[in-house]
Amino acid sequence: MRVNPDPYPDLLAAVAQTQQQIQTDEQEIASGQSVNLPSDDPAAAALLAQNAGQTAQADQFQRSIGSVQGEIQNADTALSSVTAALQQAITLGVEGANGTVNSADRAAIATQIQGIQSQLLSLANLSYQGNYVFGGTANQTTPYVLDSSSPSGVTYQGNTGVNSVTLGSQFSLQTNLPGSQLFSAPGADVFQSIQDLITSLQSGTGINTAVTEVGAANNYISSQSVFYGNALNQLTAQQTYLGTETTELAQQQNTEGGANLPDVISNLTTAQTSLQATLEAIGQTANTNLFEYLK
Amino acid sequence: MSSLNASLASALSGLIAEQGALAVTTNNVANVNTPGYSREEPVLTESNPVVVDPLTFGTGVTLQSVESITDPILESQIQQQTQSQGQFSALASALQQVQVNFTSSTSDIGTEISNFFDSVNQLSTDASDLSLRQGVLTAAGNLATSFNTAANSLTQQQTSLDQSVVQQVGQINQLTAQIATLNGQVSSLQNVGESAGTFVDQRQQAIDQLSALVDVSVIPSDNTVTLTTGNGTPLVTGLKSFLLGTQTNASGLHDVYSQGKDITSQITSGQLGGTIQARDQEIPATQTQLDTLAAGLANAVNGVQVGGFDLNGDVGTDLFNPPAASGVGAAANLSVAITDPALIAASSDGTPGSNGNAEAMYALNSQNIISGQSPTDYYSGIVFNVGNNASNASAEQSASALVLQQLNDQLASISGVSLDEEAANMVQYQDAYSASAEVITTINDMMYAVIQMSTLTG
Repeated sequence: MRVNPDPYPDLLAAVAQTQQQIQTDEQEIASGQSVNLPSDDPAAAALLAQNAGQTAQADQFQRSIGSVQGEIQNADTALSSVTAALQQAITLGVEGANGTVNSADRAAIATQIQGIQSQLLSLANLSYQGNYVFGGTANQTTPYVLDSSSPSGVTYQGNTGVNSVTLGSQFSLQTNLPGSQLFSAPGADVFQSIQDLITSLQSGTGINTAVTEVGAANNYISSQSVFYGNALNQLTAQQTYLGTETTELAQQQNTEGGANLPDVISNLTTAQTSLQATLEAIGQTANTNLFEYLK
Repeated sequence: MSSLNASLASALSGLIAEQGALAVTTNNVANVNTPGYSREEPVLTESNPVVVDPLTFGTGVTLQSVESITDPILESQIQQQTQSQGQFSALASALQQVQVNFTSSTSDIGTEISNFFDSVNQLSTDASDLSLRQGVLTAAGNLATSFNTAANSLTQQQTSLDQSVVQQVGQINQLTAQIATLNGQVSSLQNVGESAGTFVDQRQQAIDQLSALVDVSVIPSDNTVTLTTGNGTPLVTGLKSFLLGTQTNASGLHDVYSQGKDITSQITSGQLGGTIQARDQEIPATQTQLDTLAAGLANAVNGVQVGGFDLNGDVGTDLFNPPAASGVGAAANLSVAITDPALIAASSDGTPGSNGNAEAMYALNSQNIISGQSPTDYYSGIVFNVGNNASNASAEQSASALVLQQLNDQLASISGVSLDEEAANMVQYQDAYSASAEVITTINDMMYAVIQMSTLTG
């Protein structure tokens, strides 16, 4: 049978194909990725685009957790200080309720408690990175201001708004409690109870009732501060969860788009050997025809 | 009885025939690397005998013709495969460029969508922070830019494909004119019984080149070929070629016309077919998907914006300039409408610290706001489509290249010049020539003997 007398086009096509393979392998090795263009593996490329979105989202949730953590920690600490101050007020109140204390001493104690009152005011007006923490969503307005016309001695200027921040694909966390809920709750009003204690010490009547009132406020604040403790715990748990999710996403990314280096290197070696063999075949092909032997 | 002179004439015919045969071999060897050349064979036949009763004597050899060795069926298969090859190579090369716009990078659309929603999530942690608000504006600007870049790049690719259409139509016209001329040369030679192998080869090569450009049907008739496109639009009949033309359509692209008729959509194969497919179908489809995504995102974000309050406590306004209702051009024209970060409507109650509306905006990230899919899922769908189309076109191209290679091998095994064969033929003709020459020498000796005889008797 007559065969194609010109093997060069086939050999050159083989060379081009092998060189293409070598280029692809080298690109995979250089980038460490098996999917460098969508056409390399369209389904994997689509999955990797989603994976990149999810990974970026998880990273962002971690950053957002870091951002809200500071504010919540500060609020938590402030509430601890509030209960400490209230505890001190109770101690002083009990002291003032003792029958052996004269009116001058009671007035002195009342003055001390006024100091606690202004301490509580500054705690309720806690500001973190330029925002009032206990003003509801009106975080640019001082939440509590002194107001002699008010029975509690202060007026709440904030609102009852709360913010929730999305910190996971299925997780959203309330990040604040409004001051009105914390410090001005009916029956456990911090400022009202302190004001009542000061008034009772000054007048010498109803001190015990006022002390009980402060105690109720103190218990209430303690119970409310659980909110912030819980929030901090949830943030820590979510950080751990996101860490796991990020690891899983990275694994998926590697499975779908990572180059299998041992395979690629083995392919590359095979391709290089094949290229060399083809080139040698081309070299051999030259100089072999009958004309050579007719001299 | 035959004469010495008759033998001399026979021997001479051998010399002439072998010389001619050697000339054919020489031509074959000379054209060993000529593209499209089909090897030729000398056709040697016995000369008419003379009858010298009761004997019949041969009168030598005649080089009757020089035959070009080809296979018309293989040639037509090669044409068809060349058309597919042209179509898929044009399509694959266009789609390779398209997919670059959707290749994972630090600024591809998918990344910028993520970045935008990430910035909104960050803003949600502190809604009154101006630097975080600026972050959202910057991310929105980058998102718009990534859409603009991809859309403009698609338009540029479409424009350059359009220029290719015009160039390819020009090439087609050149080739059809050339084929019409060659038709004339072939028929004028063949009408007088001459071999037109060379011109037939040239014509075949022109037809192959034409097949790479457009779907061609070849109808052989007498000594000429008639060429039409796949759907019957005439390209060449006899000595006449029919020029294709181009006209700008409403979209500013060139339609292909033949004799006043728009045949653009009927060209399905060859480079022109592939180029038109990429220009009129693939790229517009991707553009539409991009527009759907851009318009869907912009409208959804704007919808949330106007439902909230900005840092000044005022009702929010559009964040993105609203795309056209049809969505056409949404990706190319996407732009941010506001420059003041305070105007981002993060608040749901009018207070500066509220993040309710920022949360609502962030929630769009996972809502099925684009044709029933979330923005990221819809985008990854585009990535799949462009990747899949490019991958399919490349695979088709490789497959048709392989088939074409095999067909070419097959044809070359019939038509290709083998130097071994030519060397053997050369030796054969040389030997025959020497033998005939030897015969002439012998006849010469015999003549001499006869002449000597007459001298002796004279």
